[in-house]
Amino acid sequence: MQILRKTELKAFKKAKRLGASGIIKILKQKGLVGRGGAAFPTGTKWEFALNTKANEKFVICNADEGEPGTFKDKFIIKYNPEALVEGILIAAYTIKARQAFIYLRGEYSYLENHLKRVVSKVLRKAKSSLKIGIIVGAGAYVCGEETAVIESIEGFRGQPYYKPPYPPTQGLYGEPTIINNVETFANVPQAILFNDWDKELRLYSLSGNLTNPGIYELPVGYSLAELIGLGKPKNKIKAVYFGCFGGCIPYSDIKLTPENVCGKNCAVGAFTIIAVDEKQSILDIAENIAKFYEHESCGKCTPCREGTKRICDIIRKIKSGKAGKDDLADLKELAENIQETSLCGLGQTATNHLLTALQYFKKEFEERIK
Amino acid sequence: MEEKEFLLSVLRKEQKNKRYISEDALKRISKKTDIPISRIYGAATFYSMLHEQKQAKNIIYVCDGPSCHVNNSKNITAYLKKKLNKSRKFSLHTASCIGCCDEAPAMLLNGNAYTKLTKEKIDEIIKKCKS
Repeated sequence: MQILRKTELKAFKKAKRLGASGIIKILKQKGLVGRGGAAFPTGTKWEFALNTKANEKFVICNADEGEPGTFKDKFIIKYNPEALVEGILIAAYTIKARQAFIYLRGEYSYLENHLKRVVSKVLRKAKSSLKIGIIVGAGAYVCGEETAVIESIEGFRGQPYYKPPYPPTQGLYGEPTIINNVETFANVPQAILFNDWDKELRLYSLSGNLTNPGIYELPVGYSLAELIGLGKPKNKIKAVYFGCFGGCIPYSDIKLTPENVCGKNCAVGAFTIIAVDEKQSILDIAENIAKFYEHESCGKCTPCREGTKRICDIIRKIKSGKAGKDDLADLKELAENIQETSLCGLGQTATNHLLTALQYFKKEFEERIK
Repeated sequence: MEEKEFLLSVLRKEQKNKRYISEDALKRISKKTDIPISRIYGAATFYSMLHEQKQAKNIIYVCDGPSCHVNNSKNITAYLKKKLNKSRKFSLHTASCIGCCDEAPAMLLNGNAYTKLTKEKIDEIIKKCKS
């Protein structure tokens, strides 16, 4: 696997020769984009932080991988954390940050000591004076959102705030801050060092009703049928969920590019694939995911806080067989309202799963209507 | 900046040592950090792994993410509920997704992940905890 290649601080040495503008140039040339789901060009993000004048700058590694069905960052932290730390070192060198943080999700707290050991080993080897603190979260999905990470580290409730300003110009403690995901940082040294580094390769997190789930490193645009084939399903696969936020599609053979998936009203995000077989009820899964959003809504904006609750209520009513046609229409309208009016990415995507389920599996809802 | 200077780290440590964030703890932390108590309470009640009620010695979070859900996590929760039968040694919760989706169903027990759960496996894990 490309992601497991060792760079052993050779990329950091090369980066120091290149200087800040050289690093940004090479990241742009190589086409590294963020792997947290938004695919923003990494070089451009770093350039914003570099060009903002400030006495203090920060680097944050977002290891709050909370999207259900996603476990690729854990894979990197376990099997190639040195690359991740080297990526952070290069980012800090580029913008002259003296302090970096790794925000590790609370559910991965058992990786904290392992990560700490690697951090101090790499820093010692690099003879770097950079401080890298590990802040362990305490169970909040929304803290994967970059402004929520900042709030959380600063000791506030992990609630997102309006952007702009974006973190590269005004982030942690109001100072320019680079925030990247684990997979992005792990790719930085490799993109800088290796000529044959392939920008198209992604870590697919494959799970669900499969006998051979796991992390698969495959290019963007890989065939869904072949991917599911690798997962070895026991029964016929009915639907595929792109995490919770990305929505669902009926199982068919499509090429997994952002454009193709978007054409189905879904989002491929961080290449999370949850395969669901024909024994599963889409309505049950809709309830499961709706409960998730109700629980994880941070409560700041009304559409998301109140809307996710009502969505749960209506789905439960449908499940109980007491709902009428009006309820189904209300459900759809409410889901659209939440999508259009919520403050942050969590709320805006909280009902994708439902809208796509209603689009592709409406029958399963209608069967329970009076 | 040391990790102990961060409120979230302070609260996590308090949860670990005292098994909850008590009113006294809020007052004590406020005094020590000079952060208003209301803000500390706001932060403490935001995270699902920080508790206002005292937790048992062993805390379980059964994963209820969709990957675990389609792999019968409900049965795991039901089995644990019945088995532990309001035992004072265990607090049982569900969690959104603990990132063990390829080894579903899964749970966290005192911060460690236990995966590919079966009734037999749970019996073994609980037995070890009790001894």
